[in-house]
Amino acid sequence: MKQGIDNQPVGKVQWVDRNTLNANDYNPNFVAPPELQLLKTSIIEDGWTQPIVILSDNTIVDGFHRWTLSKDPEVSQMTDGKVPVVIVDFDKDHRMMSTIRHNRARGTHAVLKMSEIVRKMKEDNLPDKEIMERLSMEEEELERLLDNSGMTIRGTKQVDGFGKSWVPTDKK
Amino acid sequence: MVVLKKREIETNVYQSALDRFRYLFDSFDKVVVSFSGGKDSTVCLNLALKIAREKNKLPLDVYFWDEEVIMPETVEYMMRVKNDPDIRLKWLCIPVKHRNGGSRRDPFWYPFDPKCKDKWVRDIPDFAITDIKGFKHGHTIPEVSHLVYDHTHGRIADVRGLRAQESLTRFRAVSHRVKDNWITAARSGYSYGVSPIYDWTSSDVWLAPKIYNWDYNRVYDVLDKMGVGKNEQRVCVPFGEEPMRGLWQYKVGWPELWAKMTGRVSGASTSEKYSRTQLYGFGGIKLPKDKTWKDWFYDNVALYDIEQQKFILSNVRSAVGNHINLARRPVPDTTPDDITGLSWKGLCMIALRGDMKGRRLRTMSSHADPEKKKLIDQMRLKDETRY
Repeated sequence: MKQGIDNQPVGKVQWVDRNTLNANDYNPNFVAPPELQLLKTSIIEDGWTQPIVILSDNTIVDGFHRWTLSKDPEVSQMTDGKVPVVIVDFDKDHRMMSTIRHNRARGTHAVLKMSEIVRKMKEDNLPDKEIMERLSMEEEELERLLDNSGMTIRGTKQVDGFGKSWVPTDKK
Repeated sequence: MVVLKKREIETNVYQSALDRFRYLFDSFDKVVVSFSGGKDSTVCLNLALKIAREKNKLPLDVYFWDEEVIMPETVEYMMRVKNDPDIRLKWLCIPVKHRNGGSRRDPFWYPFDPKCKDKWVRDIPDFAITDIKGFKHGHTIPEVSHLVYDHTHGRIADVRGLRAQESLTRFRAVSHRVKDNWITAARSGYSYGVSPIYDWTSSDVWLAPKIYNWDYNRVYDVLDKMGVGKNEQRVCVPFGEEPMRGLWQYKVGWPELWAKMTGRVSGASTSEKYSRTQLYGFGGIKLPKDKTWKDWFYDNVALYDIEQQKFILSNVRSAVGNHINLARRPVPDTTPDDITGLSWKGLCMIALRGDMKGRRLRTMSSHADPEKKKLIDQMRLKDETRY
């Protein structure tokens, strides 16, 4: 256990050139294009809010995708190609566990709460296009979150009447 | 048994269903609705109410298996149904046996199991029925549903929302004969399972509450928001082999309920993460080096506890027996046999997923040569269950 404020890695953030870091060879975490775009938007709009976690040999334990994005000209020019890092000293198994924990120890966004949030943004007159861009949402997602008409309406679009009834037949 | 073809008739599904309900109320001593809170049983409930009113047979008898792990919207909807003065509801909280597909260690779970009260995700409502005469530990719902209303009521029509559109098995279940195709043989001589909306599609099922302004379970609106398509939306117990692939829906839709579910049965959070991956036999499986599929089948079976091993092995033994009778040769290791469709590779899949109902065992013949397949079809339909 890392006891006391002075011993917390986040207290010793350093800025280093991105090109001095390297990826680890076991990372099980994949980030799909929409989330990668969201991560980029997050860095550009919110700035760097969290350091990349590395070993003393500059191998990345957590933050591989932020590091990848730091190559992007838009992101790179914000800090002259430098990225914030904290250095940890973990053995082989501990570092793999640390990678898993950084990625997995997180919650999920409840759909009804998301629906409420998006509705509040609409009340603040944010245009759909802006919400979609800044949150990496497809039109489909936004439309579902905003539409409260219920399944009797949504489940019967393009349905103009009851279907024909049928019975089994033994005739050819 | 044969599987017949469909023939469209002039009336629409709504009129046909009403006629079927009229027939039920006229020719049975009692009509009861098996109600799950799902969209199909909502249709059955409202059609039954309409005809019960027409024939002056109110209140309508309805029974509900409360399976503990149910969404708050389902509980709220059930309370509204319970409070309808035209409905006489039996709300059943009974520890019936359910499959837990996520765990080899605990392949079954029991809602409101008295042995693990500290883990329940909900309490038993004070008005619920907690025992029925004849129920014993280990019984599943199909084994006891005829005991909810016993023989003293005379001939009972037990209404289910089964629809042919849902699966091939369900289509077959209502396509065996021309007359009364939607009525099963009597259970214990008095309880008939009936499926009066067998020909409805999911569009019909949503059109009816829209037109007639029926109340429904708002779980569906949440599932729709999450992007679950109208034919994939299910309201059912969550831990079975098929339903567990939808466990992510609880996580996104009902995170507070999900938090309790992770501690309710073993394997819940593992199967939420991996139920659609190789860990549970999906997406193709890889044979370890230096092993045959037959070896690996036995390796996998050995991971279950003794009772489950017995069950799986007895199912597989009868399948292999049938294979020998029909094909007169040993079960091939990799390539499905062209007469029976059986292979040790296929059986491996079953061992990995823990096919407790033997359902996949019966569908293996789809790998057989279509010409030769007819043979095994006849064999298989003999033991098709109809619940």
